[in-house]
Amino acid sequence: MSAEEMGKLSTRLRLAFAVSSVVLLAVLAVSPIKDTLSEWRGYKREYARFAQNRPDSKRLLADYQPGIDQIWVPELGVVDRCVTCHQGIGQASLQDAAVPKVFRAHPTIPHRGGQWGCVVCHRGQGRATEVTEAHETTLSWEQPQLPVRYIQASCGTCHRDRPAETPQLNRGRELLVKLNCVGCHRLEGMSRPQMLGPDLTSVGGKVSREWIYKWLKEPRTITDSNGSVVVNGVENEGEPRMPQFRLTEAELRALSAYLSTLKATPAEPAKIDPRVIAAWEKRPDTVSQGEVRFREMFCTTCHSLAVTRAGETKLIGGTIGPELTKVGSKVNAEWLVAWLRNPQAYLSHSQMPRYGWSGEDLYKVTRYIQTKLTDPDLLTGVPTLGSPTPEEVRLGKQLFVQKGCSSCHVIKGLGSQTDFGPDLSGLGAKTISQLEFGQAKIPHTLLAYIRAKITNPVSVNAAARMPQYQLEPDSLEALTTALLGMAGGPATSAMGKLRVPASQPVYRPAGAFGELYERYKCSVCHRFNGYGGTLAPDLSFEGSRAQRSWLIAFLKNPQTLRPTLTLRMPQFNMTDREAATIADYFEMALQSSAVRPEDANLGQLMPQMAGLGKQLYEVKYQCQSCHTIGSSGGYVGPNLSHVGNWMKPEWIAAWLRDPQSMVPNAIEPRLSLTDQEVKALTAYLMSLRQGSASKAGKRAQAAGNAK
Amino acid sequence: MSRRFILLLLFSCALVLTSCNRQRSAQADPLSGAYDVEADWNDPQHRIALNYEQAQGKRVFYTYCVWCHADSTPAGPSNRSSLNPAPALANDGSVLNPLSDDRLRNMIGLGGSAMGKSAMMPPWGRTLSQEEVQSVIAFLRAIAQPPYTPPARPGPRYSVK
Repeated sequence: MSAEEMGKLSTRLRLAFAVSSVVLLAVLAVSPIKDTLSEWRGYKREYARFAQNRPDSKRLLADYQPGIDQIWVPELGVVDRCVTCHQGIGQASLQDAAVPKVFRAHPTIPHRGGQWGCVVCHRGQGRATEVTEAHETTLSWEQPQLPVRYIQASCGTCHRDRPAETPQLNRGRELLVKLNCVGCHRLEGMSRPQMLGPDLTSVGGKVSREWIYKWLKEPRTITDSNGSVVVNGVENEGEPRMPQFRLTEAELRALSAYLSTLKATPAEPAKIDPRVIAAWEKRPDTVSQGEVRFREMFCTTCHSLAVTRAGETKLIGGTIGPELTKVGSKVNAEWLVAWLRNPQAYLSHSQMPRYGWSGEDLYKVTRYIQTKLTDPDLLTGVPTLGSPTPEEVRLGKQLFVQKGCSSCHVIKGLGSQTDFGPDLSGLGAKTISQLEFGQAKIPHTLLAYIRAKITNPVSVNAAARMPQYQLEPDSLEALTTALLGMAGGPATSAMGKLRVPASQPVYRPAGAFGELYERYKCSVCHRFNGYGGTLAPDLSFEGSRAQRSWLIAFLKNPQTLRPTLTLRMPQFNMTDREAATIADYFEMALQSSAVRPEDANLGQLMPQMAGLGKQLYEVKYQCQSCHTIGSSGGYVGPNLSHVGNWMKPEWIAAWLRDPQSMVPNAIEPRLSLTDQEVKALTAYLMSLRQGSASKAGKRAQAAGNAK
Repeated sequence: MSRRFILLLLFSCALVLTSCNRQRSAQADPLSGAYDVEADWNDPQHRIALNYEQAQGKRVFYTYCVWCHADSTPAGPSNRSSLNPAPALANDGSVLNPLSDDRLRNMIGLGGSAMGKSAMMPPWGRTLSQEEVQSVIAFLRAIAQPPYTPPARPGPRYSVK
């Protein structure tokens, strides 16, 4: 090899070396360049620029550092790097809409982000440092972020009670119960109630085979002329709790045949005294009088009726019992009489009180229901079914179990079925790979999956046994929220310890009152020490509030205390003894410790004191803006015209001092009254009495006017 | 030739850049980011997104305030018509927007008579917590029609300059 060749080679080598060095350098540079150009550094720089232009830039940039920021809470297993980009999250001054969304402050919430991190509530991937990976589902990161619309689901993973702050979650949980989801599915923290759908042991004595056929085919009662249900301006308002099952003609025939054969003799004779019938049968006003009685007894406090005015159908009445618009075409006459006399004889878990009916009232109301609450077209389209064949009955009995009917409905002698559907306790924590989407053309997300499963189960799984539910968009959102909150066991043991359990108070008095309490179902509407309904006033301290004589008169003939309310206490037709038993029990057991016994004589204060109270009532505090006395005043609070006959002075005084200590969440504002003012107002209010007893009141009025 | 090459290079760079800078899929429903929603009182079709604080304010409002400060209430008729002077509608921006948060806080907390207005507005300061009052104000601001715009930030009033 010549020197020239050697030179050439070394030049080539040098060139190759130079090129490879450059390539190596370039390769080495890739990583730092990629790092400098990474998404999160971009956000860091953007925030620095943004903050510098703000007047409080010093505070905004106090914690600024160019690297990755993270919230680390070892005991909860939280490592959240979200704050790397969301840098203004804790800055109160960055709340307005003009701030770019990524830097905006977090709205005020009861939990501090530094203690909990972000992912505990928002889900998503806290460790990710790229926008997509942090918020969405990618190949390697499975947990997408929860839209804020459903964020209350996260509250529900720890809060098993009913926080006032999460109305959507609470509503969803109520729906899980109301729609009988626990009938087929196991849902952690929700116990199976004793009764889900009605007991069908003797349904054949209640309704006809044709009616059962119609109900199974299309479980709705109120429809307009187009066959659609629009009540209160809402599409599915009138929907009953029974969902729609997809049954074939043969299945419909078989099930209706089987159910119509279930008959039992009623426990009590369903006959009305023939003398009453003879006296009322021919009278032209029987039905109209029955209607009057129906209204007087305030059946509509629990039951609703559809009323169509100006082409718009509205449901008027309560939601505790079933809607009754067409019940006369549904149930047979004997069953109705037996039911009204003693609902618990047919259905032991019924919430309906046992009224003390007179024979006349029972006859009139029954006639009214069967004449007016009817629809001759209810069973149009139902074929003539004839009497059930043994073959149909056999198949029907089989289907009753196969279709899951026995998960919600009890038939004595036929075992009820639990855990018919899959366990949903961990549904909210499922990842996409754990879900089966089948042929459904929906986005592959947990949210879309849950929605499809509820609204159209067969779209996800053609063989689904689950029936179809019609839900309003709001209800669907609430139900989805509650299901997303079913995230199974706690992520860490520390999280498990933080769980707030649901409180389940029960109030079951014994003795004579206990019997009446069961008979009249007081706790369906009233609350006793945290247990019971919220429709009517809380009676936990009723013994401190109401005078015994008033209570007895009220129980015998309930009058409304709040004139704007359309729902009122029904008339139970109580006897004197029953009313006295209830009043005595209240007096003895339902007392508040906040009342001061020494206030008991405030009612006997001199008229001057009452006059001062009147001044305070009308001028200084203007109580008339919410309360009515006589014919003038507002109607937010109860009518006080005869409060001197109604309430005890010690209750009024204690109430004026601190209403919320007597009734939690009372709407009455807590004023800063002096002791003298409390006494004067109590004296004035106690002077407001009915009839001749109101001499003191008149004197007070005179004294008040004189001033 | 080289020009074409550069163009191609530029194009592929642009392609790479756009694919890198993939935008997050825009969320179709603007309310998916809302903790709760309230229908605009003047236009029920228009639904207003509420954040956590505003949603809590909504709850407090519908418990204590709605009876006199709205024309329809959960119980049906409103008490507003029986009052003189009639209380302001809670969404009436023309009345409420000019009032500062501090003024509203005092109105709610101390009541009408303390603020030189009608004593029919009771003081709520001992019934509601400060947070609850603040949340009600946040709710009122959210539902105001015409919409409420917060006052311009005070600016560097206290800076060295």
